[in-house]
Amino acid sequence: MWDLFISIFVNVLLWIYDVVGHNFGLAIILFTILIRIVTWPLNAQQIKGAAGMQELQNDKDWQAIQKKYAKDREKLAQEQMRVYREKGINPFGSCLPTLIQFPIIIALYQSIIRALASTPLDLLKLSRSITLPNVSELIPLNSKFLWMDLGRPEAVVIFGFALPTLALIVALTTYVQAKLTMPATTTPGDQSAAMSGMMSIYMPLLLGYFALTFASGLSIYFITSNILGIVQYAMRGKANWGSLIPGFLKPK
Amino acid sequence: MRKKLIIVTMIVLGALFLSACAGGAVRGTSWPGLAADGQTAYLADGSFIYAVDLSNGTELWRYPGTRNGKLTFYATPAITPDGLVIVGSAGTDHSLIALNPADINPETKAPVEAWKFTGGGDHWVAAPLILNNKLFAVNSDGNLYVLDLQDGKSIKEATVVKLKGRLWAQPTTDGERVYVTSLDHSVFAVNADTYDIVWHEDLGGAVPGSAVLGADGMLYVGSLASKLERFDSATGKHQSVLDAENWVWSTPAMDGDTLYFGDVAGNFYSFNTATGKSNWKPVKPDGAITASPLVQDDHVLIATESGSVFAMGKDGKVLWTQQVGGKMYTTPVAAGDLTIVSPLETEFFLAALDANGRQVWTFTPKN
Repeated sequence: MWDLFISIFVNVLLWIYDVVGHNFGLAIILFTILIRIVTWPLNAQQIKGAAGMQELQNDKDWQAIQKKYAKDREKLAQEQMRVYREKGINPFGSCLPTLIQFPIIIALYQSIIRALASTPLDLLKLSRSITLPNVSELIPLNSKFLWMDLGRPEAVVIFGFALPTLALIVALTTYVQAKLTMPATTTPGDQSAAMSGMMSIYMPLLLGYFALTFASGLSIYFITSNILGIVQYAMRGKANWGSLIPGFLKPK
Repeated sequence: MRKKLIIVTMIVLGALFLSACAGGAVRGTSWPGLAADGQTAYLADGSFIYAVDLSNGTELWRYPGTRNGKLTFYATPAITPDGLVIVGSAGTDHSLIALNPADINPETKAPVEAWKFTGGGDHWVAAPLILNNKLFAVNSDGNLYVLDLQDGKSIKEATVVKLKGRLWAQPTTDGERVYVTSLDHSVFAVNADTYDIVWHEDLGGAVPGSAVLGADGMLYVGSLASKLERFDSATGKHQSVLDAENWVWSTPAMDGDTLYFGDVAGNFYSFNTATGKSNWKPVKPDGAITASPLVQDDHVLIATESGSVFAMGKDGKVLWTQQVGGKMYTTPVAAGDLTIVSPLETEFFLAALDANGRQVWTFTPKN
């Protein structure tokens, strides 16, 4: 089943690669846009959830229960759930779609490695994944994109130091995206907002680490996906740009 | 606190999943390379090169003595006339190493490095060709490196012949020219003395196997365009002489006027170079064929992805089969009365078969 999933990814990637004139980097970017379109409802849910959480911070009923049950965590949680239900907000709505990205990331990574086939066994596996005609003309794929080899981790050597530029861009764009969609924490003890806050720290570090360690083709996916996410959110006109500055929205 | 734990767990799991599919210096990164001399089999398999006693299947040594994360081996080792074992690494250090089995380090129990060439730009996948005390080694960076073995040591600066694409197959030679195949669909002929490119032709499909010289003086090459091509070795003029059902991965094996080869769909072909026709209709053993056939006196041995060894008479009739297990992609090697095979996805790394296909011993590394 998983292998079928990978095969579908590989075939779509190869088809795009063929259409765009044998440019695998461009194929990954277009593939990411395709993934974004397919996961549009999930992203919309994420944006809606984040916006709902942000609005909730200014809700008087919400603020009142935070104060009233500040010392009774169990009761506070029950009351919070009640408010969530009443207002139709899913407290995990803003971070679940991010976690759902994991299978896509893993599948894409495996697809890139399989498509670029750096070992004989990979190339043989690739032959079993492809259903496109005239594939022998496409293989091997051109793994070069700009200054990168998409099958390998990226680093630009400047004055003798290997600078992981893509990893830094991945971490930065992930941070921006997470912060924009993160609800402002104005209420002490608000666990769901605190959880989103943690995600905005952990996710940039994690994806930055992935970008540093794994094939740079994966970084292209991360960056494209993050930029699209930021644009999608900003288009609603509710982007909280101030939240990008650490400490800008501390609880009063 | 519990939610924090969930997040951290998810992140660690994600990292583990990706790490698991990143590949590393473990068995299974690709299929192993196998070579043998009179007494010893040399297996390049993942993190180590193993030397195995052909008489009983016991390990004589391994290199390196302890696992080195920068080294990964699956190129077939080459054995020089003076007994050095030369093998390239597909790991991150891109080294081509000459080991001296006659000089074992008492501490590591591994053979000492007679020399090490680190000028390659990418993975070494193919065995080097040894010709007139020169080593012609192809690298995945698209270059042919020529090293001088005259004094038993590699010169530090090899002659670099810039070709194209990933070079995964051992070069072939007729003494005058060295023929190199490339995954970028090319076949190159390089002058063996001046290193000039004599000709360069496109086949329309990647070429992961070596070219082979026929008794007729022509050069034969299989490709992922699913064709067998015949080249005029002097001019590079070529034409397709056989359409296979699927990718031709393996290097064809020559036996007089007959070429034997398989394809990834599992067909096995016998092509007569004198008549330009197939000797018989393709037969289908039981799985994909990536390994080159091993020509014996009265039959041909074929290893398949299904883990079987087929002994096929030269008339196309199966004489015997042996289910070794696992998946076999590596070309079997003959060693005296034995045939050595190296399957993947089995507990053992090597198996020795006698002339009737019976298993004589298996080799499983300790630790």
